[in-house]
Amino acid sequence: MAEEKKRGGILRVFKDIVYGMSSHEMTRHAVRSRASMEHLFILITMGDLLGVPILPPYYSLRLLPYVTPQISGWKRRMLRERDITDTLG
Amino acid sequence: MNALIAVIIGAITVYLAYTGYARRIDRNIIQSDPKRATPATLYMDGVDFMPTNRNILFGYHFKSIAAAGPIVGAIVAASLWGWLPALIWLVLGVSFMGWASDYSAIVLSVRNDGNSLSAVAHRLISPRTRTVLFLFIFFYLLLIAGAFVGIMAQVMDAQPKTHLGIILLVVMGLLLGQMLYRWKIGLLGATVITVGITLLGILLGPLPAIEGLFKGLNEALNAITGGAAIVTYFDPTLAGFKGAEAKIMPSLLFWAIAICLFCYAGSVLPIWRMAQPVVYVGFWITATAMVLGLGGAALGTFIKPEVAQFQIPAFKGWNPQLGPAGIMPLWPMLFVTIACGAISGWHALFGSVGTARQIENEADMLPVGAGAMLAEFLLGLLALLAVSVGTKAASPPGTFANGLGGFISVWGVPVQYAVSLAFAAFIIIVLVVTQLIFRVMKVTLTEWLGDVIPPLRNQHVASFLSVALAILLVLTGTWIYLWQLFGAANQLMAALSLLLVTVWLASVGKDWLYAGLPMIFMYLTTVASILVTAYNLYFNVYQPNLAAGRVIPVAGSGLMVLVAALLVGAALLIAVDGWRAFLKQPRRPAPAPGPAPARG
Repeated sequence: MAEEKKRGGILRVFKDIVYGMSSHEMTRHAVRSRASMEHLFILITMGDLLGVPILPPYYSLRLLPYVTPQISGWKRRMLRERDITDTLG
Repeated sequence: MNALIAVIIGAITVYLAYTGYARRIDRNIIQSDPKRATPATLYMDGVDFMPTNRNILFGYHFKSIAAAGPIVGAIVAASLWGWLPALIWLVLGVSFMGWASDYSAIVLSVRNDGNSLSAVAHRLISPRTRTVLFLFIFFYLLLIAGAFVGIMAQVMDAQPKTHLGIILLVVMGLLLGQMLYRWKIGLLGATVITVGITLLGILLGPLPAIEGLFKGLNEALNAITGGAAIVTYFDPTLAGFKGAEAKIMPSLLFWAIAICLFCYAGSVLPIWRMAQPVVYVGFWITATAMVLGLGGAALGTFIKPEVAQFQIPAFKGWNPQLGPAGIMPLWPMLFVTIACGAISGWHALFGSVGTARQIENEADMLPVGAGAMLAEFLLGLLALLAVSVGTKAASPPGTFANGLGGFISVWGVPVQYAVSLAFAAFIIIVLVVTQLIFRVMKVTLTEWLGDVIPPLRNQHVASFLSVALAILLVLTGTWIYLWQLFGAANQLMAALSLLLVTVWLASVGKDWLYAGLPMIFMYLTTVASILVTAYNLYFNVYQPNLAAGRVIPVAGSGLMVLVAALLVGAALLIAVDGWRAFLKQPRRPAPAPGPAPARG
């Protein structure tokens, strides 16, 4: 039983490593593309949270419940210092 | 000497470096704490900062750092100085410096809120350091691009049997992107189809009909100028390293432009359309070749001893002369010719922005950072073995392909097809990295000069300029110096990252010697090597071509001398600022480990 579990463990490790080498980067790019679109949307609708008023507050308030869960992550990503080397990651 | 002994030396090196040295540094100096929150858990945004399983991260980091460097460097070094100095440097370099550089860059970023090396340099050393670092990085990327396009064009021009496989790789990459993202076909099915067809193309490449077709294409291209060269230059590596006149024929320029067009497309198209799928298909081809090759190297001594015996001399000399005025002293040149595989600045750059932000637990920093570097050392060792056992070919990559093909043939694959697979694996590894480099160069150029020269904000202009500069370097015909200049820039990047780590360790009251000593060695070695390369370029390439009135080689070698001067200037500025920052750090004992912030 223990050996079976161990073999499953080794197989799992192997699968993870192969996934990391072959597909993890693709997954990250997909997640990034989606996040960039979402964050652009939040910037347009909730820009006044960062001092960039784009949409009249009435519409922002109507949309607020839908974007609330993402606001903290969006703020961190928008305001974090970036440089050229970030494009490598 | 045979391959089995070298594989055993490699395995012992990995074991001793990891358990005997790296683990002690991690435990006693860095004191990695599994309970301390990492930036990935603190700032998790599901995008840049994302806690990731250590095995996945190991694979991701390894794949991102293991490119053409360990392969090409070992091939060139073995052909210049023999296999013994190359083996010794690989073993000592990775044991005392390589893992320390990779691991420490990740630690530095994890302990500094996931900031990149340049951001940490801005805070710890000076704002000027950051600006100089950007300048340094652009020229570093330009040198890699020139060196990689040059060697790929040479191989493609000389090996028509590889063309079908590479063309199919690009076509299948495009098809895979379409299948996955537009037609929504499952990954497994799409992988089987695209990788299978590419592999078939690689294996069919050596068939006389197909090879003859592409040979005919090269001949037709060369007939455009009536067999005359486009550029004639003095090549110090010809005629047994005595130097002779060489020619760049239209077919070589055609392949260089074709490679650049591919990279240009990868740079301007959406990443899912071309860059990513090509890398994905290429991964399976190269992984197949490398796994079969490494296994064949270990078993070849028992199953097929003739493919595992070393063919090249162990030692060829301390200072092989390259051309009439060239010098190639073992120190410092060996230490920059083999960059990745022993120590590399690229790893530190990537580790600090890519990997460190996904570290879930501080205990993962060692297996991911040091573990991936030690695995890359094995790749460099495999390249050294392949070039050491390979029957001599017209070029070092050819010798490498013969050697790796021999190892793969241990598994029963006919030698002809095994060599074709080895050639394809070599080109694919170089190609996918070059594609990424042009993409980063485009962004770097836009960010760096976009405000001063507005047209550079246009991605096509920035990409075109990057490609044109790389082609100019290729046309100089001084590939060996280009490679060494890139190696020096890469190693200097590693020294600069170790400098940052040293200053940071001093700033937090930790023992900095494990990073400081390799930093001093690499710094002195790389600055010396840049000066030697600039000397070689000036006296061996610039002057003879100037005397002969050849414009392109003179412009290219002149540009390279200028880049060498800029690199040395940037390195000196950073060293002065780094030294001042180091002196400012308070001399204080290491603080007692306090309560770690709660993991959130």
